[in-house]
Amino acid sequence: MTLYPGQVMKGQNPMPLTPPPNSNGDSNDSWDENKGFCESVGPTKKPQTEPVRRARKVEGGIFFPKPENAVTIAVSSRVLFRTEKEQKVFEEKGVEEYLNYQALEAVNSQLRELYPESEELFDIVLVTYNHAHVGVRLINTINHHNLFIERFCMTGGSSPIGYLKAWHTNLYLSADAEKVQEALAEGIAAATMFMPEKQVEVSETQLRVAFDGDAVLFSDESERIFKAHGLDKFFEHERENEHTLLEHGPLKGFLEALGKLQKKFYAKGHRLNCPIRTYLVTARSAASSGIRALKTLRAWGLETDEALFLAGAPKGPMLEKIRPHIYFDDQMFHIEGAAERGTIAAHVPYGIAQMYSHRKSTNSAK
Amino acid sequence: MAVSCHGMFDLDSCNVQPDSCALPKGAAFAFIKAVQTVNQRLLGLSEKNKTLLFEVVLLGKDCEEHIKLNIFDSAKHYGLEIDKFYFCSSDNLIGTLQANHINLFLSPDKDDVYSVLKAGVPAALLYQQAEQQAINRLKVLFSGDLIGLSADSMVCLKDRGFTDVHIQNFKAAKECLREFVVRIGEMKRMFGHEGSPLHTSLMTVWGSRDVCASALKTLRGWGLDVDEAFCLAGATCGPILALLQPHIVWDNGLHNLKGVAPLLSS
Repeated sequence: MTLYPGQVMKGQNPMPLTPPPNSNGDSNDSWDENKGFCESVGPTKKPQTEPVRRARKVEGGIFFPKPENAVTIAVSSRVLFRTEKEQKVFEEKGVEEYLNYQALEAVNSQLRELYPESEELFDIVLVTYNHAHVGVRLINTINHHNLFIERFCMTGGSSPIGYLKAWHTNLYLSADAEKVQEALAEGIAAATMFMPEKQVEVSETQLRVAFDGDAVLFSDESERIFKAHGLDKFFEHERENEHTLLEHGPLKGFLEALGKLQKKFYAKGHRLNCPIRTYLVTARSAASSGIRALKTLRAWGLETDEALFLAGAPKGPMLEKIRPHIYFDDQMFHIEGAAERGTIAAHVPYGIAQMYSHRKSTNSAK
Repeated sequence: MAVSCHGMFDLDSCNVQPDSCALPKGAAFAFIKAVQTVNQRLLGLSEKNKTLLFEVVLLGKDCEEHIKLNIFDSAKHYGLEIDKFYFCSSDNLIGTLQANHINLFLSPDKDDVYSVLKAGVPAALLYQQAEQQAINRLKVLFSGDLIGLSADSMVCLKDRGFTDVHIQNFKAAKECLREFVVRIGEMKRMFGHEGSPLHTSLMTVWGSRDVCASALKTLRGWGLDVDEAFCLAGATCGPILALLQPHIVWDNGLHNLKGVAPLLSS
């Protein structure tokens, strides 16, 4: 890894390995890196061979990418660290990391290699409503695990939502559903993290993010039809409106931000082995209702690397195969299905689906 | 103990309209009201807290006679509890401050604050509040970039382009800050966590997170646990400050230095 003039080398700090067996650098990518790396990562961590601390020295101070240029992911402290169930205190020994940020850092280092002057990198900010007296311990823990988090904001009880905006947050991850809803109401892409008990291996070299379609990338308009009038009406509606674009959903902006970074890789010839990979995993079917989704994406100038139309089949097995670092869905049913299979899932509490309590049903087909 | 502060009305914008107009509220206004709230609460807790109260003194620099009258009247008009009024020329500013044992000088004027700090008198910035809000809480913001550096590690600042003189000033400023922090810490302890009229925060702008941690520890060592902490690591502080809306900003005179100013510009 090349060092850039400003970079400060820190000693090798291997990420602590968690007990569960880790396969090395598989195709599983922990996508979560992007999202709140801060959030505790899953059990397996491989020691980093690159000890570089992401810092650039510039006359008079150390600086990091400006929030407005970087893809900023804000995470809350509970997403970052899994605390002991009994105690809320962040003890050094009891802390694991939820998120495997290595893939995120891998993306960043490649971006720096290709575009040394650019500030369009991933940046993780810790935004927590903890009181600052926990601050020192938090920083110590961050240091202990050598996480690449330089920026943080401890609001001591006041709402962090205003600060999210000030940081130009592209995505906010939290374990607290209320805060996430507040953020969504303010127009910030946000999701509640759910960690599976046992995680599948995710890649450390390629960041993989999977999105549900309706009410995540797109608005929930079709979802409403389905919930109100049933499957047939839904198909009818989709057929009639095949040429009308869907409205955008809460996470469209984040896909956009990812797409921007991806294009930077493509521009330098890294199309095939791009370290960021996006997936659309939707219950729509390819033959009918899926067309509208694809057309909408294309019209927005966005694309996902892969689009999986499940036509109502359960998403769990498919996700297990993809092994995304994170999967966004608006329905708890799917989130739980994903978590059962070991995928890190994030719930987007948006749209009509929230009004219906989750029930396990076999015919949630669209 | 009394912490004396100086504030100013917005003298520039008021034309010479004697009597009729009370001076428009300046940056200090919300601050003084907030200080009064703190004082009331302290007294409400215990009579013994009389020694802890803030004592506000108004300092006017180079004021003409009719302005002075205006100031008196305006203070009365708004119901401000100002104990003393001092008027001096700008040359004599530091002398006046020292002669009257002022514990803290507040001004929206960065140059004044810096020159007073250099002379060893504690001084801090009055932040221009977007609107008159939050008068039931006094908000103080500490800039952590220097607090987080111990006296020894300040030497490393030389690599960044600061001169010896600067470093001396930083050390002096840090001492001044320490006294203030100790007192604020005492006041804060009277109130507990919930509903405290005293709100403190720490912000490091260009230091790393270790500097921030060190600053937090230092403040704690001086007796103050801040409510909020921000580590910006190079991000512009403008948006955060606009949200925070502190009344007083302690930045140890950093803002006036060339090369650092762009980093701190809001």
